[in-house]
Amino acid sequence: MSHQQIENVTCLGCGCGCDDVTVTVSGGRIVAAEPVCPIGQAWLGNGQVPSAIISEGRPATLEQALSRAASELARANGPSLVYLGADLTTQAQRAALAIADLLRATVDTSTSGTAANGLITAQRRGRTGATLGELRNRGDAFLFWGVDPANRYPRFVSRYGIEPVGTHVPQGRPGRDVISVSVGSDKALAGADLALELTPEQEIPALSLMRAAILGHRVPGQSPEASMAAEVSARLAQARYVVVVHDAEPTDEPRNPLRAEALIALAQALNTSTRCSLCSLRAGRNQVGAEAVLTWQTGYPLGVEYSRGFPTYRPGYRGISRLVGGTYAAALIAGSPLLESDAEAALAALSTVVIGPRASEAPFASSIAIDTGVAGIHEGGIAYRMDEVPLMLRPPLPGPRSATEVLMALHGALQQELRRASR
Amino acid sequence: MSRGERFRIAGGRVYDPANQVEGEVRDVCIEDGRIVASVPDGSPTLDARGMIVMPGGVDIHSHFASSSCNHARRLVPEEHGADPAPAPNLAHDASSRSGTGGTVPSTFTTGYRYAGLGYTTVFDAAVAPLLARHSHAELEDTPCVDGGIFILMGNDEYLLRLIAAGERERARDYAGWLLGATGGYAIKIVNPGGIEAWKSGQRNVNGLDDPLATNRVTPRAILETLADAGNQLGLPHPVHIHCNNLGVPGNAEVTLASMRTLEGRRVHFTHLQFHSYGGPGWKSAAAPIMEYVNTHPEISVDVGQVMFGPAATITADGPVEYLLHKSSGRKWVNIDIELETGCGIVPFLYKDKAAVAALQWSIGLELFLLSQDPWRVVLSTDHPNGGSFLSYPALIQLLMDRSVRDERLKQVNPKLLAGSALADGIGREYTLNEIAIVTRAGPARLLGLTHKGHLGPGADADVTVYNHDSDVARMFSSPRYVVKNGSLVVEEGHLRRAPLGRRLRLQPPYDEAILPHLRRFFDAYSTVSFENFPVSGIPADPQPLSS
Repeated sequence: MSHQQIENVTCLGCGCGCDDVTVTVSGGRIVAAEPVCPIGQAWLGNGQVPSAIISEGRPATLEQALSRAASELARANGPSLVYLGADLTTQAQRAALAIADLLRATVDTSTSGTAANGLITAQRRGRTGATLGELRNRGDAFLFWGVDPANRYPRFVSRYGIEPVGTHVPQGRPGRDVISVSVGSDKALAGADLALELTPEQEIPALSLMRAAILGHRVPGQSPEASMAAEVSARLAQARYVVVVHDAEPTDEPRNPLRAEALIALAQALNTSTRCSLCSLRAGRNQVGAEAVLTWQTGYPLGVEYSRGFPTYRPGYRGISRLVGGTYAAALIAGSPLLESDAEAALAALSTVVIGPRASEAPFASSIAIDTGVAGIHEGGIAYRMDEVPLMLRPPLPGPRSATEVLMALHGALQQELRRASR
Repeated sequence: MSRGERFRIAGGRVYDPANQVEGEVRDVCIEDGRIVASVPDGSPTLDARGMIVMPGGVDIHSHFASSSCNHARRLVPEEHGADPAPAPNLAHDASSRSGTGGTVPSTFTTGYRYAGLGYTTVFDAAVAPLLARHSHAELEDTPCVDGGIFILMGNDEYLLRLIAAGERERARDYAGWLLGATGGYAIKIVNPGGIEAWKSGQRNVNGLDDPLATNRVTPRAILETLADAGNQLGLPHPVHIHCNNLGVPGNAEVTLASMRTLEGRRVHFTHLQFHSYGGPGWKSAAAPIMEYVNTHPEISVDVGQVMFGPAATITADGPVEYLLHKSSGRKWVNIDIELETGCGIVPFLYKDKAAVAALQWSIGLELFLLSQDPWRVVLSTDHPNGGSFLSYPALIQLLMDRSVRDERLKQVNPKLLAGSALADGIGREYTLNEIAIVTRAGPARLLGLTHKGHLGPGADADVTVYNHDSDVARMFSSPRYVVKNGSLVVEEGHLRRAPLGRRLRLQPPYDEAILPHLRRFFDAYSTVSFENFPVSGIPADPQPLSS
């Protein structure tokens, strides 16, 4: 069987968005990928996805399914939920958001249950960040705060973090001072030049003291946090370009909600005497793209509700968690949602339309399910890296059908349905 | 009346300065999205008797469709909440979108509001090459206006290395390649060398011969290299320059030095108000700056007027935003963009009782009022840096009506205005014809848009019709009709259609011998592969551009 190689494929397994992957395809399946980490390997798989269209439990044509979906969503007797999944291109998320506007729906994304705190904190006080290449090209001091990227961002260290040579760090790893601070079970990078451990109770005081020291205040050195703060801040202050790396996604260790603010404040304070960027590690697929398109279309990165005929902001609100309370009469799930089991059960009681990869195999009952390809594997377009750099997608395989096109067609059908209903 | 139809805008007073038409009563005929000499008798007619007819507005310098704008949008949820924007009711139940406003509105709302002001062409003046793909995605969601982007150069590692090596011809080819790869329209320089200095720990550069510590390249060499590159590539708009030391007292010195070092070259200096400060201390240097501009026809400028009220400062000039954050205590975003540039954002409020804001307001007006050539000194607020584009009508009123201006002057903090031309009294009032020049004909000409900014046969059918009104702020804030590419988008003051605009971009020729060299640089230092860097899928530009 002949093999075909597709170069420069962008991997969306984690937020690193490595776009140097060569994928080998044979017989409509992915048979090899190089270079790729275990997370990327799992994300790519063999590229096989179902291509069914199911309406009310039976196979249907796309036209039938869209017509039925439009009718159910338009006639829903109560509020709707539109979920923008992370396994869609930004173009598909954009089409789903147009439907949400039309339906005056509540919009939810995976961000609301994961990385919302950091985003909301940055809205309060701003942030200092950089694109990932800047870390590699300039960072001469790295502080890994409660994270070892090896686990969830395997190629971070070799592509962006500490190993490669940079324009302003020609020596690569030897030219960088690497400090790791573990917080409880959030273990930091192994092999650092300085490794320290904090209990969760010590974390916020230690960050406050570091900031005080950076800003030139005298920090009394009586507590372990204080001596740690003095040592770390002294090393950071000597650097030209400090990079503070933390995991913006949840871990098993309960996260102090003040961590995000303390890290932003520390990074901003470091910029008074040197330069510093805070790198917030983000999970993969295209959840950052959903935040981007939500922001440009509504002004808000998450927690949007259209019920008043325009976007309103409900930053603490998880739309999808309200499924259980019977809040909605209908739901459009575009892409794959992060769902708890009680929410899955609740979806079965609604008019639920699922459009996205493996929709027909979703672990919850739906009225209509339309399978599409996966962003980056079967569908081209744009997805966003964790640092909000938009990446080109070169899908190695053809897909069952394009999520963008299906969602745009649903939008058209829905408009007609609503016009008919208003006459 | 939609695109493809032909119709007549009949009996209006037409201001078409590019064709020497100043307030004559005549018809403007439209067919297939273009202005034509005539349409058959019996064609549909818009009755414009007693109204003012001008080409659609052209914004030469705005920040409305970029990754930086999206960072700014995200930073000000409080503004969006206070300014909801329901979806407009379009004709024939056409689809429209809701959004939010504030100083950085959502994309659809931005398009609708520009059209609602009679503007039909807008350029985003600062796009990092790496993030151009994002700008094009935003432009797809910004209806009613034709849009283009200026591509940031002058702090990019590759260019700085070429300059350090004395390879100016290769710099030209690189600039040509980069514009094509990003779908850009013009070369934009922001604080030449200063952003690299900010990122490398040098903090900033202050004078034209202040070298970068890392490679000894000077702002002067950057300006000269890119100005020559733009002109040698034959770009329709010359290099668009944001000088060093923006917002700093005494910066007129470096502004004039930049103009002098580029003397004889075609260049555009942007938001000049922010670069026209005398020293020591805060004072106006509008007079010497304008004396230079008035006597050097190769230079063009936009003013970057400050208007009192809320603003969002958004710039690639990272060090400036750090200083503004430190001095104002307001929230601050800084994003360093690998190998290319920076991004800084601070939401801001210009208060008329604040001495510096009053001086900035005054300097902008002085630049306008001391200008001897409206074709080369055009209107901008550097939206949303000096104020929102929604404040253009109020600015036009300040230019056209001395009594309004003098009354406003009495209300502002006078502390720093001593010796300024405005405080000494400038009687000049802009005419409607001059307003038509500084808001459409002039910017279109400076941008090399031969099909825009005028109403001669063959021009794009972008037309704005205003009710004649002695209150010019009211007149310019609510056009009676706006035609975009031949489609009637505003009808009786209401947005009725929202077609997607065209993309204005270039594909300059360059010597492909540069590609292997560029690829090696990408392989060594970029985190995006060379193959994936160019933006694909941008709608084709149907307009013939000079290159």
